[in-house]
Amino acid sequence: MGEFKVHRVRFFDYMPSAIRALAFQPQREKIAVARTSGSVEIFNCADRFFQEKIIPGREQAATEALAWVGDRLFSAGLNGVISEYDLENQKVKYTIDAFGGPIWTIASNQQGTHLAVGCEDGTVKLFEVCEGKIQFEKNLAKQKGRILSLSWHPSGSRIVAGMMDMIRVFNTETGQSVHRLLVERGIGASRSVECVVWGVVYLSDGTIISGDSSGKVKIWDDLTGTLIKSHQVTKWDVLALSVSQDETSVVAGTSEGTVVQFQFLSVVLGQEDKEWVQTRIFKNHTHDVRTVLELGTAVVSGGMDTQFVVRPLLDKIEERGPECVLRKIQFPHRSLVSCAKKAGLLLFQYPGHLELWRLGESDGHGASGSVLPVKRKPEKLLHLKIKGEEHICCSAVSPCGEWIAYSTVASFRLYRLHCDNNNVSITKVSKLPKVLSSANQICFSSDSSKLFAASTCSSVHVVSLSQTVHKFVCTLKPKSGSVQAVHLLAASEDGKWLASANSDREVQIYNLTKMKLHSTVPVYNSGVTAMAIHPTTNNLFMVHADQQVFEYSIEEKKYTDWSRQVQRNGLHYLWLARDTPVTNVTFNPKNPTHIILHDAYMFCIIDQTLPLPDSSSQFYNQLTLRSLPEKDRTKHSHAFKMCKTFKELMFVELMEDQSLVAVERPLVEIAAQLPAPVRQKKFAT
Amino acid sequence: MAKLQRGESECELEKGVRVSVEMSDSSEDEGPEEVAFEESRSAALKSEEEKLQAAKREKELLKEKRRKRQQFFQEQKKKRLLSDTLLEEFDTVPQKQKKLSDDRDEEKDNKQQKLTKSKKKKASRSLQGNCSVMRLKDESADSSMQQSAMDFIQARLYGSGTLRTTNAELLSLEKKRGVKKGAAVQFVNKKWGAEQKAKAEKSNKRFIHRQKLVTT
Repeated sequence: MGEFKVHRVRFFDYMPSAIRALAFQPQREKIAVARTSGSVEIFNCADRFFQEKIIPGREQAATEALAWVGDRLFSAGLNGVISEYDLENQKVKYTIDAFGGPIWTIASNQQGTHLAVGCEDGTVKLFEVCEGKIQFEKNLAKQKGRILSLSWHPSGSRIVAGMMDMIRVFNTETGQSVHRLLVERGIGASRSVECVVWGVVYLSDGTIISGDSSGKVKIWDDLTGTLIKSHQVTKWDVLALSVSQDETSVVAGTSEGTVVQFQFLSVVLGQEDKEWVQTRIFKNHTHDVRTVLELGTAVVSGGMDTQFVVRPLLDKIEERGPECVLRKIQFPHRSLVSCAKKAGLLLFQYPGHLELWRLGESDGHGASGSVLPVKRKPEKLLHLKIKGEEHICCSAVSPCGEWIAYSTVASFRLYRLHCDNNNVSITKVSKLPKVLSSANQICFSSDSSKLFAASTCSSVHVVSLSQTVHKFVCTLKPKSGSVQAVHLLAASEDGKWLASANSDREVQIYNLTKMKLHSTVPVYNSGVTAMAIHPTTNNLFMVHADQQVFEYSIEEKKYTDWSRQVQRNGLHYLWLARDTPVTNVTFNPKNPTHIILHDAYMFCIIDQTLPLPDSSSQFYNQLTLRSLPEKDRTKHSHAFKMCKTFKELMFVELMEDQSLVAVERPLVEIAAQLPAPVRQKKFAT
Repeated sequence: MAKLQRGESECELEKGVRVSVEMSDSSEDEGPEEVAFEESRSAALKSEEEKLQAAKREKELLKEKRRKRQQFFQEQKKKRLLSDTLLEEFDTVPQKQKKLSDDRDEEKDNKQQKLTKSKKKKASRSLQGNCSVMRLKDESADSSMQQSAMDFIQARLYGSGTLRTTNAELLSLEKKRGVKKGAAVQFVNKKWGAEQKAKAEKSNKRFIHRQKLVTT
């Protein structure tokens, strides 16, 4: 399938931050994930857990909890403020100081009228959710000691708060404490240490379930205020609790990295009396599970090991489909690497800085699979630290390697790079057009003469770049009037076309010579994860979250014959079952029928001249083909050529000189930088 | 206060009387002294009268004190009343300020937004660049509170007595027990365990040195 010289890049030290909170929005089936860096991500459960939106974090945000109220998302953190997010433009809409010190938890009631926050100073504060804002209503009776967890009774009349050594039940009308449930401390050395109630859940039948630092899940009755049952789950802490919507199942996340499920079952067969029984234990994490979600059909968990894990509950799923696989999402579904194809430069995007590297060189020739001697080592040219507290939301380097642009929520910066032999210098472009205040996605035209910056309401600003003057050309806007932000941009090689994809799954194609909308690709019901315009045929190639591929002819404004054939024929089931989305599409200029795609575990070349695989044929067939004699190969070969030599891929791109760049990030190296796991005694070690 | 003091003084008086009675009792040991009924009666009445008078005196004293205080207050009031116009002027100024702050708390009506905007503009006029004014004290207090909250989490999850191990150990254990057996991670990856290796080398050197010492 063609040989490439490969740059196996392992110097991108991408380090994801730990997952701190999860919140589920049942109507839209979306999950919001808060990380310790302060960033918030939105995953779409209905669309194979595709990461639709990323709201960049900021320093000192220390987000501790998330809550949905209808379609609105709120967060609270140790910096003592409550924030509402602008999900369309992917930024913080406003913040309100709760004036109670650091906030540990935030919870919304089922009616969607109030938010409750638990503060360090021992107050539970109620906020009324109004149109476009939230308003402080009252404090519930102030307690000694911090409020670490909160849960509303489904009726909204009562609220339960987990504290140090105790749980309190409040009446939300009067604000008075109704019950005080004392939680016993652990045995032995931990007797002198206060017991922290990390999680509470209030069920509609008046049962309170709590998880605490002595490793117990306790079930209480709120009528009498008594303990019904106590389950010792772990020797360490129970850090998170979540209940399913039908209130028949509760999951608890522990420091051991396990998720323990409890179910409301009748202990004796055929009898009505039901009890909370510990049923299953899932171990998908190596480190502390800081937050869990019970979705009914799956258990979602996240924690210190930075992985977002979706564990399906197979007894609740009726059909076999994409939802019955275990998913571990380690990498963002968006490229953090951009590449200057002509100059051989790579730009790595970290939360607080950018790194520019020049690729190494080798003049050796070797057999397939051999390691070539390196003539010039890769070198780090630039370490660009950003100013201010906001983290970078997007960045790009121009194909010629002369321009670097990045954007945070608050600012947009463009730099010019001067590279002569060994001297690298950088100058900030000071006079930028005023429209470029911030961007959701940045892209350069292939000749580096234009800069495209995606902005609010799916619009794209076009700025022409030159040595001296940078002029704002125009703003391209879709006709649909979508307010969602653009998350992907693709410019054509000849500089005529620009494609943009937004979170509403719309793909717009703009004509750059006339500077107006050319056509809109029919909306498909899954998000676009990667797209690119073919350099010779000007076909737009798109890959969706459900692994479907489409090819759209821009000039003819219709799907190409190949794309129609793919849809008619259907893709191979093994391709459709892949669990990580394709994050980059690139082409081979020497071989225009080849399309190179990659996801986290493989890269693949689609040869459009070869027949598509049918369901009976072997999908991963390279090894078999190699063993076959030359003439039989053509009979057995099909369009999809997979390569799994490189694992944990973050980026694959074909450079101008036909060498392939593969940026890897081994998970072991991420694991090495994580905080300490618990010490478990294993037999015979 | 005054009442209490009075009470105490009365008690003392009573005690004095009792003591005198006892004294007279003790002197009776030698032989009863003849005291006429009339005399004793008059003495008792006298003491009663004295008591009453003392009480009256104290009451009067108290009354006078109160009167004086009342007068003092009235004079004070008069002094205040004199500067009425001034006071009004003072009153009006803080009221305005209060209004502003109240509105800010009550959230942004359009007017207030305008007000705050104009304020911002003013600030930017006087301060160069896009600066904003805040109290340093508040920020430091907030950040110290946040820091202590973070320390609490850190101490609870990773503090002493939490039985933690290292990542290298965990990964090595996986290598040892897993399907694919392998060496401990610090031997596979040269970056890891650098500290331990340096330590081992050091102790090796020491050992050799000691051996030499023994041989010579």
